[in-house]
Amino acid sequence: MSHRFLILEDGTIIKGSGFGHDSGSYGEIVFTTAMTGYLESITDPSYRGQMLVFAAPTIGNYPLQKGKMESDRAQVSAVITRDAHSTLYSGESGTQLDRFLKDNGVPGIDGVDTRLLVRKIREHGVMKAYISDTPEFPDEWPDPMAADLVGAVSTMSSYTVAGAGKRNILYIDVGTKTSLVKSISEIFSLTVVPYSENFSNLENEYDAIFVSNGPGDPAHPALAKVREFLKGNTGKLPIFGVCLGHQLLALSGGGRTIKMKFGHRGTNHAVTDGENIFITSHNHGYAVDPDSLAGTSLKIGQRDINDGTVEMLYDQKNSVYSVQYHPEGSPGPRDYSQFYSLMAKVVEDYYA
Amino acid sequence: MPRDPAIKTVLIIGSGPVVIGQAAEFDYSGSQACLSMKEEGLKTVLLNSNPATIQTDFDIADRIYIEPINAEAVRRIVEAEKVDSVLFSMGGQTALNLAMDLENSGMIRKLSLKVLGTGVASISVAEDRKKFHARMMEIGEPVAESYTLTSADYEQQADIISRFPVIARTSFSLGGSGGSIARDKEDLIRFCEWFFRSYRSDSLEVETSLLGLKEIEYEVIRDNVGNCITVCNMENLDPMGVHTGESIVVTPSQTLSDAEYHMLRRAAIKVISSIGIVGACNIQFALDPESEKYFIVEVNPRTSRSSALASKASGYPIARIASKIAVGYNLDEILNPITKNTFAAFEPSLDYVTVKIPRWPFDKFHVARTLGVQMKSIGEVMGIGRTFEEATMKAISSLDNEMSQKIRMYESDDRIWEYISIPSDLRIYAIFEALFRNFDIGLIASKSGYDPYFIWKFRNIVDMLSGLEVGTIPENLLSFKELGISDSIISSFTKVSAVEIFRYRLDHNIFPQYKSIDTCSGEFVAMTPYMYSTYDSEDERNASRTGTKIMIIGSGPNRISQGLEFDYGAVKAIKKLRNDGYTTIMVNSNPETVSTDFDISDILYFEPLTLEHISNIIHVEKPLGIIIQFSGQTGQNMAMGLSDIFGPDIILGTSPTDISHAEDRTHFAEVLKHLGIRQPEFTTVSNLQEVSEKLWKINLPVILRSSFIIGGRAMDIIGDRESLMKRSEELFRERPGFPILVSRYVEDADEIDVDFVSDGRSFAICGVCMHIEEAGTHSGDATMIIGKSVVSPSVMGEIERIVGLLVPAFKLIGLSNLQLASNESGVYVIELNTRSSRSIPFVSKATGVNWVAIAVDTMLGKGIDRRADAAMKSYFIKIPVFPFKRFEDLDPILSPEMKSTGEGMGAGLTPEEAIIKAMAISGSRFKEGGSVIISINDRDKASIPFLKPFLENFKGQVYATAGTHDSLLAAGIESVVVYKIGDIREPRIDQVMFRNQVSLVVNTPSEVADQVKDSFQIRKIAIFRNIPLITNMRLARFVFASMEKRVSLEYREIREYY
Repeated sequence: MSHRFLILEDGTIIKGSGFGHDSGSYGEIVFTTAMTGYLESITDPSYRGQMLVFAAPTIGNYPLQKGKMESDRAQVSAVITRDAHSTLYSGESGTQLDRFLKDNGVPGIDGVDTRLLVRKIREHGVMKAYISDTPEFPDEWPDPMAADLVGAVSTMSSYTVAGAGKRNILYIDVGTKTSLVKSISEIFSLTVVPYSENFSNLENEYDAIFVSNGPGDPAHPALAKVREFLKGNTGKLPIFGVCLGHQLLALSGGGRTIKMKFGHRGTNHAVTDGENIFITSHNHGYAVDPDSLAGTSLKIGQRDINDGTVEMLYDQKNSVYSVQYHPEGSPGPRDYSQFYSLMAKVVEDYYA
Repeated sequence: MPRDPAIKTVLIIGSGPVVIGQAAEFDYSGSQACLSMKEEGLKTVLLNSNPATIQTDFDIADRIYIEPINAEAVRRIVEAEKVDSVLFSMGGQTALNLAMDLENSGMIRKLSLKVLGTGVASISVAEDRKKFHARMMEIGEPVAESYTLTSADYEQQADIISRFPVIARTSFSLGGSGGSIARDKEDLIRFCEWFFRSYRSDSLEVETSLLGLKEIEYEVIRDNVGNCITVCNMENLDPMGVHTGESIVVTPSQTLSDAEYHMLRRAAIKVISSIGIVGACNIQFALDPESEKYFIVEVNPRTSRSSALASKASGYPIARIASKIAVGYNLDEILNPITKNTFAAFEPSLDYVTVKIPRWPFDKFHVARTLGVQMKSIGEVMGIGRTFEEATMKAISSLDNEMSQKIRMYESDDRIWEYISIPSDLRIYAIFEALFRNFDIGLIASKSGYDPYFIWKFRNIVDMLSGLEVGTIPENLLSFKELGISDSIISSFTKVSAVEIFRYRLDHNIFPQYKSIDTCSGEFVAMTPYMYSTYDSEDERNASRTGTKIMIIGSGPNRISQGLEFDYGAVKAIKKLRNDGYTTIMVNSNPETVSTDFDISDILYFEPLTLEHISNIIHVEKPLGIIIQFSGQTGQNMAMGLSDIFGPDIILGTSPTDISHAEDRTHFAEVLKHLGIRQPEFTTVSNLQEVSEKLWKINLPVILRSSFIIGGRAMDIIGDRESLMKRSEELFRERPGFPILVSRYVEDADEIDVDFVSDGRSFAICGVCMHIEEAGTHSGDATMIIGKSVVSPSVMGEIERIVGLLVPAFKLIGLSNLQLASNESGVYVIELNTRSSRSIPFVSKATGVNWVAIAVDTMLGKGIDRRADAAMKSYFIKIPVFPFKRFEDLDPILSPEMKSTGEGMGAGLTPEEAIIKAMAISGSRFKEGGSVIISINDRDKASIPFLKPFLENFKGQVYATAGTHDSLLAAGIESVVVYKIGDIREPRIDQVMFRNQVSLVVNTPSEVADQVKDSFQIRKIAIFRNIPLITNMRLARFVFASMEKRVSLEYREIREYY
């Protein structure tokens, strides 16, 4: 197994063993504290442009089941692990992970003190990082979030999903996870459209709008059309959002988003509505600035229990509801599956 | 929701003596509960009969009752202390059973008690299998099909069972006691015959066995408004069919996909919510990984051994949080005490792996080693590492037994396959051995039922070990260390000494890093240094920590002869040192204990208690010294090694050289001779040749001991030539190269246990405990009494003279324990232990003196003033409890080999009150209205007149075996003859024991060949019928004399006895 180096913008250079695709890589380095769901995370389009550090030490310990993929390919720029190679060369599931990453052109680096990385990122904030065969410190550190990340993961063409409910909704795919499509289709029929859709043609054909999760900065210029469309339809149709969708709704509603120091990525975050708590699955590096909501019609429905991050927004009058986290889990819990029934009820009430 | 203001005084129920399935973990959860409630300004009242606990210490609860745990005690305490609320959920099955008793008798209502935490109705749903099944059906959660068999019709009823095997379950069982697996109908019928004969039950619940499925547990916490979190899950390596307490368990689960993990988590929350748990609980699942189908196995509606394990594995203090919930708080109002800046409402994320391995008593008990649904293990260890390999190997090191160094099993392939297929403590080593022999991994997995993933991981270890060569330290030593392979395993494979390997690591700077357990995988800053070692790159120890450091090691896994009584000393010592301003470092490997609570010490290292790991920590922490006196024999065995590496001054207290002088029995005997201290006549032998030459003529009985103490295996009384040869051979095999000391057994003597503290010159006697049984019963198994003039002034004077000579001779500093035998001819020294003894917590509770603190002072160089013994006004009896019910093949008699798992304390203003309470605590409460059976050996027949006063006034029937009957008659006592078990005449003794209500069996073991088996049978039946059994004549005399006095029992706060 060849040596591979992880080079961080703060000057840290870490040697590890290479696995997966034999190539270099560049991206924003982030960590997840989820203990299960390695394949779900690796294939989650929200991680586009990011190198993923698994805080859980061993990856690939149970068989890789392609049915559990969150998109049709690995999305992360690199996989950084403490212990993937020992299973890689002895356990069958590890071999699958290695082959999977190879097939998907994603490099991995193993045998790394991932806890050290977590602690560094916690102190320093998310950083830019290279993976390379040589331990040389590069001069160029472009912003990985500057690229049109959504463009790389949004569906190329529209498609419909015949769902359980009679209501038909417009599902804007800004980088959706497969399981989110599946969850929403359990209450509505969907027309899934790319972020680049010519939205002006779509008015009045749907009962509601849903904006999915996705990668990168919600204020990115490439998403201007989506934000304008949402703004134009607020009050005309019920609108729902998850993750990036939630942030886009905040922006279109007049709020601001901020980049978090190191984000929330894990399956153990508690959010509260002031009365109940829900353990939820998080993957977000940006958040809605609560101070920016003053003067808008958006209200905070739930916050993270530890740092107060805005986790749910609603605007009852305009039938807008969104959550920052992932009610669909995958990986992680689905404690707030009430979100789906809430959506169903809002739509029914709207047309009652 | 803030704290409920209606709660003012809380009665906390403890779990009583340590038994299999219920040990130190309840001291841990109970202590946390007391402290957590005190923090809330509540008055805490504790009821626990176990004096070895920290929980019963003065600085834990406000009011302490070391009294029998029963309804009567609760009633009296509630009235005396004006208790308004009671907490049952921290006292294990003992407390839950008491809760059900109190509820069924209407006492909870009568006393208007508020039950904190999970309500009694919810407890009963979780505990009563019928109600539980019904509830699960109602909410649509899958359970195994169950059937009820009745004693009258079980043969017909067995016909309708569609799928075997079935598992028999009895409600309200503890640690799986009374459970069994039937593989087919015939098997089941055989079991029913035995069950209905043995238990006073007319129905038996059986259910489809989930044998072979993955066994997964979740620890769940639910608050007053229904918020629910899972602290962590645990994956059993051993599939269903092996009790979870007997399984190797990994946390977090390693082979569950996200879908499986969260499917079970969702089910856990649904089930727990439907039962209405408030606080902590544990739920067990059987998972079929092929189909993603699962079954709910059971719910423990309380903290359990698993919750202690989960707390230590995740860093999340379950009992503490559950106690806060019990007084009204909710999860979003409680701070996470590890991070101190996040809330209890979250689920821990682990960036390491923990592996728990049970510790079985098979090194002491020569019984079947197979494992099943009944628990046999006494304790457990937990290994922590960044990989499964490292965690497993650290757990194996922590076991501190023969296999943990040897690893290899040199047996035939067939035998290895057998060990893999049939669960036993050796299975894991058999899997290693199979991998050494390149057996097929798939086949190993399918035969053992282990997920192949684990076998692959084991192979990484075996591949590495296969590269070792005799005589060389491997160049890639670091790679071995990364897999958690201990120096001592490398030593046993290469024959290079462990100290030499340590020196090599020192030269090459191969040391582990330390990382913290923080509940959050590093996402937040942790304020509590709870550390483990791993070979990785970053060391997280807080280098800025100043102050003089002192290290204390615990006693490792609970085992026969080394249990939570040592943890008491360790925790008390830490408290004393912290109080004096030292920075304390605790090291232990036992997840059940109070000492591994991250709140106890300044820095906690959860590590194996081996020379290697202790040395590694000393190497980086550089403490002023290390205290080994509170770690049982574990520390004593390590003293010399530590002294070799760090110099003798590293050991605080009695020096390593003096320890080994006292441990070397030959040397010790010579010193005694020189000092003019009486000891039993002795000689030493070095080989079998000498045994036959020297000992052929000697008078028996004699006591045989290895010249060095082997972890509690103290001595054997040998009565015949054949056993003499056999036992000598065994001892030479166990400790090759060490001579055997043969000493005369002092017959008809009293045995006396003396604990004392000394500073190298002066001493103070902590307590003098007199054994009720004659000398020869292991001091851990003896019933002993301490109190006003239990030894005569002349014996006391002799004890002081002996201690006064020994202290300067061995420069004893700190605590020591002396075992003496005393008869008309004088006081004889049997043994000196240069460490805190098993009886120190008992003596401390009986005298009300913090002896550990005084001992710590002497270890730090303070002198002690010779003080007169405080005059005691009361009596305290330490009574052992035994695991005989778990081991059908273990004879329930007392011998020099220790068998008890725990102890209780009976306190009284008179010896009679104390022994009657002690008998009740040990489960031998004498119930009026029954009969007694007496069957004693010839030697004990001389004592019969002493039984007369009680038996003359006894209202029930007295039964006696033929010989005993004659002796009773000769003493003028009427009795009915019972015949032997196989006799054709009636009544036979077994009939009487099954049919009649028997209140007490007195059976002293017979040595007459044709009676041995019968005598054994009588004792076994008594054990299985839960009939109080006394097997020692002196104890019987004491108990009979006390019952005759008919004392009324009073329940007093412990300080009322001083």
